[in-house]
Parts: sequence; C-alpha cells; structure tokens
Amino acid sequence: MANNKLMTTVAPHLHEKGQTIERAMRDVLLALTPAVVIAIVVYGMNVVYIIAVSMITAGLSEVVMRRLLRRKVTLGDLSAMVTGLIFAFLLPPTTPLWVVAIGAFLAVGVAKELFGGLGKNVFNPALLARVALMISPLALYTTKFVEPFYWRSVGFFTPVATSIDNSVVGRVVYKGLAGNNVDAVTSATPLSLLKSGRLLVDTVAGATPVGATWVTDAGRPSFWSTFLGFKSGCIGEVCILALLIGAAYLLYRRTIDWRIPAGIIGAFLAVMLVTWNHPIYQLFGGGLFLGAFFMATDWVTSPMTRRGKWIYAVGIGVSIALIRLLGPLPEGVAIAILQWNVLTLLIDRYIAEPKFGEVKKPWFNRLPVFQKRKSAEGET
Amino acid sequence: MRKTGFKTFRRGGIHPLYNKELCSGKAIARAPIPSRLMVPLRQHIGAPNEPLVSPGDRVAVGQKIGDADAFVSAPVHSPVAGIVDAIEDIKSFNGETVTGVIIAADAEQPPFEARQGKPLDELTAEDIREIAGEAGLVGMGGAAFPTRVKLSPPEDKPIESVIINGCECEPFLTCDHRLMVERPDDLVQALELMIRAVGADRGIIGVEANKMDAVEKLRAAVSDRPNLDVEVLEVKYPEGAEKQLISAVTGREVPPGNLPSEVGCLVQNVGTAIALYEAASAGKPLYERVLTVTGPGVKEPGNLIVKVGTPISILIEACGGLTGDPAKVIIGGPMTGWAQEDLDAPVVKGTSGVVALTPELIDIREEHACVRCTKCVEACPMSVMPNFIVEAVQNGDWEKAELWGALDCFECGCCTFTCPAYIPHVEYVRKAKAEIATLKG
Repeated sequence: MANNKLMTTVAPHLHEKGQTIERAMRDVLLALTPAVVIAIVVYGMNVVYIIAVSMITAGLSEVVMRRLLRRKVTLGDLSAMVTGLIFAFLLPPTTPLWVVAIGAFLAVGVAKELFGGLGKNVFNPALLARVALMISPLALYTTKFVEPFYWRSVGFFTPVATSIDNSVVGRVVYKGLAGNNVDAVTSATPLSLLKSGRLLVDTVAGATPVGATWVTDAGRPSFWSTFLGFKSGCIGEVCILALLIGAAYLLYRRTIDWRIPAGIIGAFLAVMLVTWNHPIYQLFGGGLFLGAFFMATDWVTSPMTRRGKWIYAVGIGVSIALIRLLGPLPEGVAIAILQWNVLTLLIDRYIAEPKFGEVKKPWFNRLPVFQKRKSAEGET
Repeated sequence: MRKTGFKTFRRGGIHPLYNKELCSGKAIARAPIPSRLMVPLRQHIGAPNEPLVSPGDRVAVGQKIGDADAFVSAPVHSPVAGIVDAIEDIKSFNGETVTGVIIAADAEQPPFEARQGKPLDELTAEDIREIAGEAGLVGMGGAAFPTRVKLSPPEDKPIESVIINGCECEPFLTCDHRLMVERPDDLVQALELMIRAVGADRGIIGVEANKMDAVEKLRAAVSDRPNLDVEVLEVKYPEGAEKQLISAVTGREVPPGNLPSEVGCLVQNVGTAIALYEAASAGKPLYERVLTVTGPGVKEPGNLIVKVGTPISILIEACGGLTGDPAKVIIGGPMTGWAQEDLDAPVVKGTSGVVALTPELIDIREEHACVRCTKCVEACPMSVMPNFIVEAVQNGDWEKAELWGALDCFECGCCTFTCPAYIPHVEYVRKAKAEIATLKG
C-alpha cells in the first residue's frame, strides 16, 4: 500500500464538478455567440475583424502585462477573451482596427492588470476602456454609427473604417483598406433619434441624409427592427433577441445573478413609465440589455450580498434613465455601470445581510452610525 | 434551487454527489477485533481523563479505564478483555497527540454481560443523565460533546423539542441510515428517554428524503406515540448541522453565539441515541460504534460495528483492502473529515466513517484571487461572508474577520466546495478562530 502518497489537505475534500473560473468565462463567450452571428449578418465581416483584433490584443496585453508585473500568466482562465469580446461589442461596426487595439489594451492591460488582475479590478475593464476612448481624441472613431446592411453596397467581406473626409472639415466618411472612400452612410441610432426630438436628421454628421430603412413613416424606429436588430448601433447591442437567448443560458447555468438584470430593467422601466417616455424604444434602442445582462453582472465589479445587488441594480437602472433623459448624451449605460462599480465598494462595506439567526436586522446595519449605536448599547 | 416540497433550512447549502448507494443497503456487520487497541483517553470536548489502569493490569470489556472529575467530560471504557500494554502518546485522527491506553486483546473475547438496572419506564431524568455520564456518551456525529452535559440544559431555558438527527447529510456515510433501518424501535425508546431527561413536550426524528426506507420503519415505530413525529427533510448539505436541522424542523433560528436551548431545542445524533438506549437497558458503556467504511477506494464498502481503539487499517482490510492507489483516506465524512497521512489512527467515539477517495474525485488547484462571484455567500448556511473573512485573514485584520462572521462559521465547507477560485475558506476561518481566541484571552 502506497501510504506515503496519501494527500492530507484540509476539508472539504470534494469540489463541485466543473465549478471553475474557466467554465464561467466559457459560458459568457458561448452566451454572446448568437449576438455575434446576428452582428455579422447586419454589419458584415467587418465585425469579425474588429472582434478578432480586440480579443487577440486583449490576450496579448494580458500576457505582456502579467510578465512585466511578474505575475503568473493566466490566459487559460479566458477572462481576457471575455473582456476582448465585450469590448468589441461596445464599438460601432466601423471602428478602425488600430483604435480597437488601443482600446483592448486599455481594457485588459490597464483597467484589469494595473488594478491588480482579475478579482482586484474596481471597474468593468471593457467599460472603462470604452469610456476612456469616448472622452479621448479618438472619440470621433467610436461614436459614428453606420446604417444596417450597409455592406450590400460595399461588399460583405470588405473591411471598412470610420474616417474623416479631408475635403470637408468634420465630415465623416468610410474608407476601405485601400484608402478609397466607401459608399456607406452614417446613421443615427434609435436613441440619438429620440434624443434629437424624433426627427430624421443625422444628429452626428449633420450633412449626410439618413435614409434609414428601419425607421417607420412617423420617423420613429419600428419595434421589430429595434428588437431583432435592423438598426444602427454598437456591434453587441444590435439584436435584443440574441442577447436574451444568451442571457437565458447564463441564468440557467447560474453564471449570473438574476437580481441584477431584473433590478436594472425594472427600475429603468419604472422611471420611463413615470416620466411618460415611450419605453419600447428606450428598452430596445440602446445598450440596456447588453449592459444589464453581460456587464453589470460582472462578478468582480458587482456587490456580494443580495441586498447589495438590489441596491446596485436599481441604482444602475435609475442612473441610466436619468442620464438618457437629462444628460447631453443619448446613451448612459456605460457611465451608469461604471458609477455603480465604484459605489459597490461602499455597498459591500455597509450593506450586510443578516447572519443565520439574526432575523431582524436593518438594511444599513453596517453604516458607521449603527455601529456606534451598537457599541454604545454594549457599554451601557 | 431544486424544489422538493420537503422542509429545509432557510438559506444556503449545496448538493454534492452523495454516493450513498455504495453501502446504504448493506446490513451492519461486526468488524474483526485487532490484537492491539489504542484507546485515546480524551475522545470528547472538555477536560481530559486520567488513566485508571496501569501497564500490566487486566481489563474486562466495558471496564472504566479513564475518568475525570470535571462536569464537561466523558469517561473512557475498555472495548475488550485483555491486558494493558502501555500508556503512551498516540497520534489522533486530527493530527493531535493524545494520551492513549494500549491494550493487548485476549484471543477469546467473552460477550458483554448485560446488567439489569431499573426498567426503562421507571428511570428519572437524573437517572438518565447519570447513565449517559457513566457510559461515557458523547455526540457521535463528530463533535463529541458529552451527552450528560447536553441533557442538562440551563434551568431558565426549557426544552420543548428533542430532535434526533437522522439526516446524515455527509456524502458517502450510511451508518446512521442503517441504524435507523435496523433498530427503529431502540431509537424511539432512546428518544423517549431523552425527552424525559430534559422535560420536553415532543420528539422529532428528522430524516433526509433519500432515506425513505428508514422513514417508513420509523413512522411505524412512532405510530402509537402521539408526542413523536418523523419529519422528512430536503436532501441538501448541511441539513444535519445542528442549527440548520433545528431551522428545517421547527423554523426557528438559533441566534449567533447561542446554543439550541435558546430556541427550546435539543439535537442528538442517531448513534448517540442508540448508545443511550444500550446504556440504559443493558448498562453497556460506549466502547464500540457503527461506522461506514466506504468510497471508491475501498473494495467492499460496508457498515461495521467497531471497537473504539481499532486502527483504521484493520477496517480497510476487513472491507477487502484498498483498490489501487487511493488519493485520500479520510476519517469522518468527505466534507468535514480529516485526511490521513497513514492508516494507523484509531477509531474513536466520534468517528462516523472512513472514506477512501480515488484521484478522479480529488479536485485541488492553485488558489486564485477571489473573483467575487458570490457563490460562497449564496452557499453559506450561516449567511456569513466567507470571502471577506478570507480577505480579513490575509490582511491580518482579526476584528474584520469576526465582523464578517468567522465565529459563526461551523466549517461545513460549502463555500470551498463551490468556489471557482479554489480558495480554502475553511483553512482561513480556522486561523481566524485561533487568532481571535488568543486575542480574547
């Protein structure tokens, strides 16, 4: 009997089958696949080029940064791949590839690894990189949206990138690889249409007529086109149905907590109804579902307790609504989630769940004021 | 969560693979008696015993060989007839060194002679406590708390319900299951004795829904006793943890830092109950117990009645030996038991099983930083914050560790079981408990 080979680790001696970080990351990649497929159909192979560059850059950034920081390279946990894919999802389908690469590096190299690596990052890496680009000089390349099925005029496989027309200052055009201008049309997203008073004007470039086929006669985006994906927008937010299929899979696998999307969408809908805004376009027009199911649910940057999750989720929902209704931007999902990523630090510190046997415990029992009262009670 | 319709505790818990079918159908058999037994003098929580015998002394079956004056203690009895060989330090199952009595067993073992005492019906509460104390009874689910102490609840905390813990929620183990199937009437009599000892109104036997054969037998046994009931509980680990069981059966939660008497409950293990019955009806002290020898690493898993002091190597041999190269041999259940370096450790009163795990069941990886997935928080039956305790321990912040619930943790291991980052929370919690205890003096 080879007794000397017996292992003597501490209990428990069993581990839940397949409960690993890789599995969760693989689940997310799989859940995003339907949305990738629809994005390719709507926006052409350009989407694939962007996703490939984003994921490869994300992976390389992780390897390089971890080597530099003398950490063990953990590419196998697939978290860099997920960040790369989600970052690509947040971009317009004609983002130049070099801008994609810079952003993916910012996401994984800076927002994740410089913060301490997976588990230590305060912000959702993809979102932080996205907002960083939005407020940088590269903003132009990441805020221009092309109309759906533009590839019918330029070719399905033709790489296309947002560029600036040298002859007209501020005019956006699309260029092919060879540097030639491509016959694609800049278009408004449903939300920017709403923001600009529901009129058929290209709110971005001004001069280009929209001619958007997915807009109804009344000048509003039709319900089915926003839900199924025949609209302008970021790569990932195009088809709500595809996102919901992926989200259902993640919920079934218990990779994400249902409370977060439920709280976000519920609170958002409530604000929209109270303020008498048409909820359908607000719900399906932008990145709400992508954010609620795939970004706000990020393990690392969301709260630990059920109570905390509800506060976080409702907070995000309300923040998105306020930004969209009152702010200057048509879209507010990214900023809202980042804002609550920071507040998660506070939520986790002060919102504790009652322990077993503590039946009645106030929600904010860990706030300093309660702690003081408790210690005062202890002294008397 | 799987909805089963059966009662369970409020929050948390996990569903490991139970693997009970390896031996849930195997009748209890008697294990061989080794020629040399190592009987630790301390097999309980509380004051250690002083030896009552010296090397060279002849001992009889059931003779008291160690005792202490303290209230919180339990005497130890000789499991065999034989001669005391030595009194020396032995290594216990949990790695601690304890004083033990080494007994060379006679080749011929006389059977234990039953002593006829008062009839069961005439025993008073004080008699029952005395019997439990004299017989050296301890909690046989693993904690090994002296039963006499447990049967003496504080005056100001009346006990309403005595609950027999028939959950056996640890994977692989089946000894309590077999006892319930084979000796339901003895168990019910023991429950009546316990109810009398603490002046309770009713008795409940809580059994997980994966042991319906035991439930049927027990229901038949309690059918003519209106104050007793059998409650079928959801199959979920740790259903059989004391506080979780009370919560499942009565819906009451024992407040942090309190004992079950706070909510008017007393919980006893099946094995302990049977031992109390044997002590009360035949004067038999606790020197042998039923345990399960199982796991894919054992050739013929089974439920054995084993003398205390038997090295586990004898039991494994009795079960056909080990298959190939087992990766771990565990004393206790695989969720809370102790992995053994070798097979020399002796069986004690609290040993509920010996489980041999093969490499394919072992999943140990390098610890990753916490990814805050909240699976530990969701799995925790005590609703503490396992990952925050780990973080506090890593930072040496013992106050925080206590704030997040380190002292409420009873180390069931649900958090570690489900952790995708493979963080050994239980190890950290033990460290925190030790440090906090030192700080508090």
